[in-house]
Amino acid sequence: MFIGIDLGTSNSTLAVFDGEAVTVVANSLGENLTPSVVRVDSRGNVSVGRKAQRFIETDPGNVCAEFKRLMGTADAQQFPASGKSLLPEELSGHVVSALLANARDSLGFLPRAAVISTPALFELPQNHATGKAGKLAGLDDVVLIQEPIAAAIAAGWRQDLQGTWLVFDLGGGTLDVSLLETKEGRLRVVDHAGDNFLGGKDLDHAVVDWALRQIHRHFRVPDLNRANPRATRSLVRLKAACEQTRVELSRVGESVVAVPGLCSDLEGNAIDVELPLTRAELEAVVGPLLVRAEAVVLRLLAQNHRLPADVAQVVFVGGPTFTPALRSRIGEMFGGRVAEGVDPMTTVARGAALYAATSGLDARPAMPASTARSGLSLRIEHPAVTADAEPFVVGRFLLARGETSPHHVRVQRREPPAIDGVGDQDVAISTEGSFVAQVALAKHRKNCFRVSAFAPDGKAIELATSDFTIVHGVSVADPPLARTVGLACADDSMQTYFCKGTPLPARRMFVHQTVKAVAARSHDDALLIPVVQGESFRAHRNRLIGTLEIRGVNKDLPAGSRVEVTLHLDRSGQLHTRADVPAIGQTFEDVVHVLVPSASVETLVVQLAATVKRIEEVRKRAFQSGVAAAVQALDGAPLLLDDAEHTLDIAKGGDRDAAQRVERLLSEIDAGVDEAEAVLAWPDLDAEAERCSLLYTGLVAQWGTSTEQGLFDQALRAATQARAMRNPPELERQLQAMHAIGKASYCRNPRSSASELDWLSSHVVDALNVAEANRLIEHARAAMQREDHFCVRGLLSQLWSLFPSSVEERRKSFGSGIR
Amino acid sequence: MAIAQSSAIHNLLLRHLENPFLVLEVAVTAEIGDIERQAQKLLAMLAAGLVEADRYPTPLGQRARTPELVRMATSELRDPARRLLHEFWACGWRRAS
Repeated sequence: MFIGIDLGTSNSTLAVFDGEAVTVVANSLGENLTPSVVRVDSRGNVSVGRKAQRFIETDPGNVCAEFKRLMGTADAQQFPASGKSLLPEELSGHVVSALLANARDSLGFLPRAAVISTPALFELPQNHATGKAGKLAGLDDVVLIQEPIAAAIAAGWRQDLQGTWLVFDLGGGTLDVSLLETKEGRLRVVDHAGDNFLGGKDLDHAVVDWALRQIHRHFRVPDLNRANPRATRSLVRLKAACEQTRVELSRVGESVVAVPGLCSDLEGNAIDVELPLTRAELEAVVGPLLVRAEAVVLRLLAQNHRLPADVAQVVFVGGPTFTPALRSRIGEMFGGRVAEGVDPMTTVARGAALYAATSGLDARPAMPASTARSGLSLRIEHPAVTADAEPFVVGRFLLARGETSPHHVRVQRREPPAIDGVGDQDVAISTEGSFVAQVALAKHRKNCFRVSAFAPDGKAIELATSDFTIVHGVSVADPPLARTVGLACADDSMQTYFCKGTPLPARRMFVHQTVKAVAARSHDDALLIPVVQGESFRAHRNRLIGTLEIRGVNKDLPAGSRVEVTLHLDRSGQLHTRADVPAIGQTFEDVVHVLVPSASVETLVVQLAATVKRIEEVRKRAFQSGVAAAVQALDGAPLLLDDAEHTLDIAKGGDRDAAQRVERLLSEIDAGVDEAEAVLAWPDLDAEAERCSLLYTGLVAQWGTSTEQGLFDQALRAATQARAMRNPPELERQLQAMHAIGKASYCRNPRSSASELDWLSSHVVDALNVAEANRLIEHARAAMQREDHFCVRGLLSQLWSLFPSSVEERRKSFGSGIR
Repeated sequence: MAIAQSSAIHNLLLRHLENPFLVLEVAVTAEIGDIERQAQKLLAMLAAGLVEADRYPTPLGQRARTPELVRMATSELRDPARRLLHEFWACGWRRAS
């Protein structure tokens, strides 16, 4: 039994896959969708779903909804009646718990493992919080899958699909658009784009804004606005009515936003709101949002060099995609090629359940030891779901003392009983007590097998485990990482550990050096290793997601010490960091505290002003340079700025979600400005590449080892390609490699030490510790005179550690203490 | 600088020693179906604890093979653009060795 959970902004769903069919588990009210709403009453009792939603108008202070958009933040929701406060992941944990209770009632056991879906653009902190929600709900094992992949698996299940797909997933709070490719039953995410702050909720807010404009036109109610915290209660009621009308207008041509006694005017008269709204008017109201959604689709296609005609089918996911204007607008872009028979409301949960089978994540509780069969213990490894019609099966006998390995095994097909031309197969056992067999599968169905073991004389040997099942279907190997993860180095570069698209789990180690000394046994003196997520080669352009600290060392740790940093990302998006420092024999470990940073409204006001100023400066430079691409990169900025200013006004009214949205908008604007700056900086970068190739080609040929020459040759070719493609991040990466190889080669030149020493002597005033630098320079000169080159190199490396990156670079790189 | 350079080279080498074609022990001309199947076989062998799967040869000697490395290698080769890059480096390695 495999469980998939769609933990949505508005509603959540749980589906079960039994190896044959996927079914959605209904809640106690018989509904497939459970509202993602939590209420805590005055006695501290927690209720979830429809029961909690009923109190959203009468007791809004103790009911919390739409908390998915706050996942990964430290914003706790207060429940004044009970005095309780719950973090977003705790609220989600209660929703998952309620879904699991429904599953227990339906299946007869409480699931112990499940796959939970998350939006494709969720970053590590949000994924981590989602994994934590599952654990809080009592799951032992939680695996995450991106919603569009889950939707595509569900849509493509049991179909011979080939080609490119587009999944348009408009949920309550987020828009995810994904381009997928199916080849020979294997699903691959080509790319995705989206907007973490565009969903059904935003459509509702657009209608609320329209309704407020109508109300203000007819009544004197200046206090009724979204920037006023005292208007919250009335606005909650108005929003509920607007949502109901918007949903109704998906089926009918005309409806009314009706809220009796919404508020009082300045004279104290109660106001009954009754605003007629037609489908055409609604389409005009939400039009700008639909344009925004359409732009995301076009951007995704353009950046992958595809045309709408290249897309075989579009899959709609999420309740808001029932909106007729949206459906027709997006559907028409693709000539009406919309996948049929897909339920937008439950498809993600269904896909997640199918993915649980791919991952072998059985939800059933472990079998008690007393019920285990007797016989030789055999471990069988096989894919639970695969697109391969002839996968491998590996078995290994786990022998107790006195037991001997069988002579051979027979892999027998049990269900379906026969496939043309394929029968049972006998496989010999290796000296390791293992076997590798290849089995043939019947397509798009469950295939059951049995392993029998035999002694050399042909006598059957009893086995404790002998049956296994493989389902043939669409397979996805592992959930891919949505954004690149790496370490910020002191020179403001990013050392990439895991590229975007890396399957999880993933683990990698790289070697770094410290750029500052750390005093022994001091808990105030720390060396920071910032972990960042993003696509820029420059550390500061990425988002800081956590920091590992080296603090409380048992011996003085000099600058320039070797640090081996390992990052391990598990399947639930949790990031484990480990730094081994061989010089002092200490290891520092941490589970990075991944949180979405939440800025105060005051900080956002300052940030917004700074962003406006930066845009003006870069735009001026762009126009002066006359480079069209730089000007174009800033095209989207004014619209986003308007949005940020408007949303900031709402955030001033206490809407935490709006504050998060402003942060996102500001980083999106920054990305555009960064792009414009990169375009403007291209001539310098290109010239540097030319200079590097001229300088280092000769040096590496003369002084480099054969490995260095080979590596340099390859880096030079990759750099030439990056120059031809005008790809700044790739060129920067290759230049970094060329610098490293070139300088390492030059170190073999006996005269290099002398010139390095000259440079260091002339810049000694810039050293962190001038006295120590002078002492080392003196020693190095003495060693040079007695031609002790080994000693000179050692002293030079100590000296370089006293010349760290500039203060500005370190500040930008989140105070990184490594390079 | 010398240490920093040596670590940069070391990290560069680490990346190249994790070339997907080396990790999976498949030819640069292998079809994606064969690559997926090889990866599935290696993952099953690693999960079963078979010694023959836990190392792979590189021009600089044997290296440890982990399930994470196999998954990363497969994922890299699924993406045609990334695969092209790895083919480029793998051919370079073969010429160098």
